[in-house]
Amino acid sequence: MHTYLRLIAIFYKNAWLNELEYRMNFWVNSLFSIFWLIWAALSVRIFFFYTDRIEGWSYHELLVVIGIYFTLNGYNQMLLHPNVSRIPEYVRLGTLDHLLTKPINSQFLVSLRNVNIYKGGDVLLGLGLVGYALWQLNRWPSLGQLGLFVVLLLAAAVLLYSFSLILQTLNLWLGNVERSDMLIYALLETGRLPINFYHGWIRQVFTVIIPIALMTTLPAQALLGQLPWRSIAVSVGLAATLFAFGAAFWRSALGYYTSASS
Amino acid sequence: MLEFMRVYYILSKVAWAKALENRSQVIIRMLSTVFPLLMMVVWLTVVNQVGPAANWQRSDFIAYYIGATLVYRFTFTFVVWEWDRDIRTGDLSFKLLKPIDPFHYFLSEQIGWKLFDPLLLVPVVALFVWVSPEVHYMIGLGKWIAFFISIIVGFALSMLMSCAFAMSAFWSTQSSSLYNLWYGVGQFLSGFIAPLPLFPENIRSIANLLPFRGLIGFPTEILIGKLSWPEIWLGFRVIGFWIIAFFIIYRLLWRYGLKKYEAVGS
Repeated sequence: MHTYLRLIAIFYKNAWLNELEYRMNFWVNSLFSIFWLIWAALSVRIFFFYTDRIEGWSYHELLVVIGIYFTLNGYNQMLLHPNVSRIPEYVRLGTLDHLLTKPINSQFLVSLRNVNIYKGGDVLLGLGLVGYALWQLNRWPSLGQLGLFVVLLLAAAVLLYSFSLILQTLNLWLGNVERSDMLIYALLETGRLPINFYHGWIRQVFTVIIPIALMTTLPAQALLGQLPWRSIAVSVGLAATLFAFGAAFWRSALGYYTSASS
Repeated sequence: MLEFMRVYYILSKVAWAKALENRSQVIIRMLSTVFPLLMMVVWLTVVNQVGPAANWQRSDFIAYYIGATLVYRFTFTFVVWEWDRDIRTGDLSFKLLKPIDPFHYFLSEQIGWKLFDPLLLVPVVALFVWVSPEVHYMIGLGKWIAFFISIIVGFALSMLMSCAFAMSAFWSTQSSSLYNLWYGVGQFLSGFIAPLPLFPENIRSIANLLPFRGLIGFPTEILIGKLSWPEIWLGFRVIGFWIIAFFIIYRLLWRYGLKKYEAVGS
């Protein structure tokens, strides 16, 4: 455990030093992040010219969901995109063979080796938007609600990671479908809206099969104080189950892995 | 002229082959144009709740967003990234050695890719329209012709606009970021986020004069029969103006940029 923490410290310090070399780039990227945050917040403004509430959600309540979406999307680009999403590339270039020879857990290496530091800004900006929306609503969550929110958000991060890992591990077997991480982006994008906005079978799919509702709607409801405590069990339980399944799947896939060139 | 067409034919065929090679990517990219469909879902919820918005019914929204997704696929170009890469890495030099202007490479490549999209999308849309009784695009032959022309000029506008912005790559490494910013603002004024007739009057009147509407909103509004002939003529005139404007900007910057590029290379 200690070794792994030390490794992470080394990896990320390295990434940070790398980033410092391109300071201009960092500032330009931060400006862009702010631009896209405003873009996301304004794009849903138009509906509220026609109604005050959509399925019970006011504009600022909707902004809470959009802020959470922005945070998760930033997390996706910060940690998942430069790591798990690159598994097909690792296979093609033979990097995976190299990684497997290291005396370190392979899942750790393909999941946390790299980090896109400036996307961390997106994570913070999204949370900033959540804060702004709560301020506009003048509805500050209690400490308990805040704790619930943090746990649900972490569960969402684990869920998203497990989905990516399972999808990319499938790639090992099915041959390489490059850019299949676009599916994760598309999936996450549906989380821009609260689950109540969807109807019929689409809602069923997003609640039960692909639990996008757990990722953005539930944390938002936790902050807005509309959520029973037991939902935390569902969310955390599912995240733990999928994580365990993903890890097992990865291990068994490696058993069949015979490298790209053989 | 015939020689020229033959070159285009061959270059497009190369791009087509490349597109075929990456089939799965094409399908995945198509699946990932989720955003307009999300906006449609919200509009349907709103209409369900408070009735038609600005006289737009449920069926209008469905027809609009299906149409807009289709139009978007045709008018979107990724030449800015291609130019940016070629100029930064120096690959442009290889294109400069050839006897035809690099523009023709980029254009024919886009055409090659575009040939792939209708094959995949048009059957899907046709099937959808066939099974859903609410949506139809019966606007008469004249307006269908206007729609086709609007797609072609929309693509031309998109192409020249991208090229004009791409020329900034001669001076800066952030040309694609600059274009993203411009395009991001444009998404509000193009009809990508929501149909322009639903925006407040002042935003709409500005959008009518800017180039963005020609990329998505204008063709789509023709397709769903929301535009009268005088409005269509006006729209074409605005697009024509911007095509000429971006063409002039692009060619001027190209001449200055090329001098600078050669200066660096030698």
